[in-house]
Amino acid sequence: MSEQKQLLIIDDDPDFAEGIKSILVKAKYKVDMAHNPKDGWAALEKNKYDLLLLDVMMGRGAEGIMIARKLGKDAKFRELPVLIITSIREQMAFLFPGGAVHPNFVDVDELIEKPVEPKLLLDKVSALIKSSEAKKKK
Amino acid sequence: MQETKILIIDDEEVVLDSCKLVLEPAGFKIATASNGIAGLGMVREFGPDLIFVDLKMPGISGFEVLERLRAMDPNQVAIVITGYATVSSAVDAMKKGAYDFLPKPFTPDELRLITKRGLEKHRLVQEAIALRREKEMLRENFAAILSHELKSPLSALQQHLFGLAADLEDKMTEEQKARTERMKGRLDDLLKLIHNWLRVFTVDVNKIKEQFQPVAVPTVITKAVENVLPHATRKNIELVSTVGDSLPMLSGDAVSLTEVIGNILNNAVKYSKPQTTVRLAAEAAAGEVVISVADGGVGIAKEDLPFIFGDFYRGKGAAQMESGCGLGLAISRRIVEAHGGSVAVESEPGKGSKFTIRLPAKT
Repeated sequence: MSEQKQLLIIDDDPDFAEGIKSILVKAKYKVDMAHNPKDGWAALEKNKYDLLLLDVMMGRGAEGIMIARKLGKDAKFRELPVLIITSIREQMAFLFPGGAVHPNFVDVDELIEKPVEPKLLLDKVSALIKSSEAKKKK
Repeated sequence: MQETKILIIDDEEVVLDSCKLVLEPAGFKIATASNGIAGLGMVREFGPDLIFVDLKMPGISGFEVLERLRAMDPNQVAIVITGYATVSSAVDAMKKGAYDFLPKPFTPDELRLITKRGLEKHRLVQEAIALRREKEMLRENFAAILSHELKSPLSALQQHLFGLAADLEDKMTEEQKARTERMKGRLDDLLKLIHNWLRVFTVDVNKIKEQFQPVAVPTVITKAVENVLPHATRKNIELVSTVGDSLPMLSGDAVSLTEVIGNILNNAVKYSKPQTTVRLAAEAAAGEVVISVADGGVGIAKEDLPFIFGDFYRGKGAAQMESGCGLGLAISRRIVEAHGGSVAVESEPGKGSKFTIRLPAKT
């Protein structure tokens, strides 16, 4: 088995982030948390992560989407798999103020809805990491 | 403070001068024009709070000026100046949107008074516009606020409950597990309720029109059936779907349409007795796709039929049988109508109901 995988959660709700973290830590992941987009971006710059778990609605609107877009534009991060965790359902998302935030507008790998069942979360996380590693090997 | 600007359009120089003489000392910024065209040309640049227009002018008349003003900005407050002999035409002008009229000749006091009234009207109009805008903003932001402020704590709560339940999996007794499941269930209901309220109160379903794409009916049906299947299996209800060959494509929003069919299937399952069958059929008709969902459930009383697509309507038997908030059909109807379609119901109490959705095929 390879070394411990390192994950980053960016979510402005510390309680929710803790809830996710406890599930991931129990499954032997190493988990960092950031509670605002700025700290999140700083952490991304500083450390190397195997997966990012990203909240959509932070701060003054859909700032999570901004991060996802920024990541897509940056060659350094293009390989990083992103799992969007959102409390807004897909069909609602595009109706939010502040422009189009429909998930289709952003190239993210997966989108799951808050709250998330532990098994579903772990399945998605491990599947995303596996597929990203398979891509790298090619 | 921003200065108050008044534009006066009149062909008589003496009127322009006297107005200036009266109003400028009162602190107003005055601009004048000697004919309609010139006056209209100044409106955009000068941005007056109030406009005086003479009705009788060479070139375009005061009426024409009023009409063009309205076309430019229906909220612009204008007062007409008119000779005594033409008071009846002043009334016509007011019908055309002038706020008031000032008969010539007028005293400085009369001018001051009507200016005050006109500016007061302008202020009220602007306030109304600001309020309306605020209301719209509020409605739009309501979704974001509600979602974040109400759903976030509940999500965090549920998330920890999920985590705890998983942690204590092998330590809890069956009874404790059942209690945990109940907590999860209630939290889930609450989250769904908030979600549905959001849909009804804040979503302008007409906006989905902007995102219409070609939609394949079988895909939508398969997805909706998948979503409802666990519910049906739990109640031991069979779901049978018959999808016709070569159905035309629709133009629409796949996610919303899946929600509609899911809602209606879910209702069918909800109001059905265990060990019955819910049948879904989709077929092509003249320029339409017709999707029907029939159940052998409790049915709907005739007197209730007109209300079932309204907000918060719940079937009589529902309270005892299943939980829900009575918004599913209201949302569904709105979505179907946004697609240019219709939804109808036939029902016989005790025998079951049949919902029929008609959606226009993509042209």
